[in-house]
Amino acid sequence: MMVNAELYVKDLPGQLVGSLEPISLVDGNIVGVVHDRETIVSNRITVSVTFTVGSAEDLEKLKAIWKKRDVVISRMGSVNETFAMEYMLIGEISASYIEELIDEASKIVQFDSIDVRYSSKTASSKRTAMILVKVRSEDDVDELDMFLAAACRKTGTVYVRGL
Amino acid sequence: MRVAIAGFGTVGQGTAEVIAMRGDMFSRNYGEDVRIVLAMDSRSYAADPEGLDPLKLVETKKVTGRVGESTYASSRRLLSETDYDVLIEVSPTDIVTGGVGLDNIICALERGKDVVTVNKGPLALRFHELSELAEDNGCVLRFEGSVGGAMPIINLCTENLVGERIRSIRGIFNGTCNFILSRMDTGLPFEQALKEAQQLGYAETDPRNDIEGFDTACKVVILANSVFGRDVKFSDVSVTGITSVTDEAIALAADHNMVVRLIGEVSDTKLEVAPRLIPRGHALAISGTLNTAQILSDLAGPITVSGRGAGRIETASAILSDLLAIMDRRRGKSL
Repeated sequence: MMVNAELYVKDLPGQLVGSLEPISLVDGNIVGVVHDRETIVSNRITVSVTFTVGSAEDLEKLKAIWKKRDVVISRMGSVNETFAMEYMLIGEISASYIEELIDEASKIVQFDSIDVRYSSKTASSKRTAMILVKVRSEDDVDELDMFLAAACRKTGTVYVRGL
Repeated sequence: MRVAIAGFGTVGQGTAEVIAMRGDMFSRNYGEDVRIVLAMDSRSYAADPEGLDPLKLVETKKVTGRVGESTYASSRRLLSETDYDVLIEVSPTDIVTGGVGLDNIICALERGKDVVTVNKGPLALRFHELSELAEDNGCVLRFEGSVGGAMPIINLCTENLVGERIRSIRGIFNGTCNFILSRMDTGLPFEQALKEAQQLGYAETDPRNDIEGFDTACKVVILANSVFGRDVKFSDVSVTGITSVTDEAIALAADHNMVVRLIGEVSDTKLEVAPRLIPRGHALAISGTLNTAQILSDLAGPITVSGRGAGRIETASAILSDLLAIMDRRRGKSL
């Protein structure tokens, strides 16, 4: 997971390095650092750091180390990585069928966003639905793929997925 | 080097022409000629231990519809009675039984003869058995042209990328389907695009083998067995063809800057042929009759190749590369 943190670090030599080193201790990777020497609050400078850590557990460990080293966390937010996937279903399908399908799927995977579009032309009884999703992990992509493939097999719907 | 050509249709004739075209190269690089000592089609054959004129064979076939005046009852017997070094097996593909091609390959390998083939049926049905037969008899079985025609893929993976761990191969392995889907991109419905493919000679009168995805499935099986060392059969492939892809679906994909292409995918765990949504501009979003493949390996990363997947001289070029590899191997042996 990617994390943005704003830290207050004592304005003393070695304190900046001392505040960043713990990120490596929890096997994190620093993506970017900006320290602002202009704004000093209670003898502390502001350091904005963006980094990745393997898990929420690692983040908790990091927070504990910072606390021990007297590094104050003023703000912290995480940026979740998302995985986009596209699916197309072709067959005798209705909007309610697709909605039910998505409701069922959301019990298995965590969606960040879902967008459904339907073909407008109705020359045949077949209709096409395009489902554009963003999920939280690659495992979710696999789970969703298996779920939709199985559901389409049951109803004889043609299933086309992205790469 | 003496070669026997089994099958004298489009690819067989192209092979004879390429052997004639590269006559100088054989003698210059290897110090020997490549002599066609036997050429057989489904009904007739021509044989000469001193070598037949390749271009005359092609001419005879074109004029008479037969490669020679003699007829035979059993190709196995004919091959057994002929002295040759390499069998070039290019008879029509039979993906149900392997057909006469399977018999010919087995016959040659049992006699310790090297084999070059583009015949998908025997490879898709009995790959490991044939490979073991070749190994047991100290000969080689090469089949570069069986997947992707002139597009290098099998030898690329097994020889050039031999140090890589190949994670997956995804590609367009059927030019007919790609032509149909490309025409549908312009607004044509499936039936009309298919008819156009038939009129242009890209699709057979009975196009089921292509459009139902069976041809691509054969190629996926060959890649799985040869590149990934898997032991899979045609029936193990999950196959969805393109017959159910509607023009509305193509239009909806286009609205999202995507195209639909029939993709064969193989990895350690996957074995699939299905229409897939491909972003425009992606290496697999090519149009027309070309074949393309994206190889994903651990050290080199993604490698993309493309080329003509069929055609008389194009497929013969893949056969030539296998023939030269055999000549290299033989020369290495004799040194």
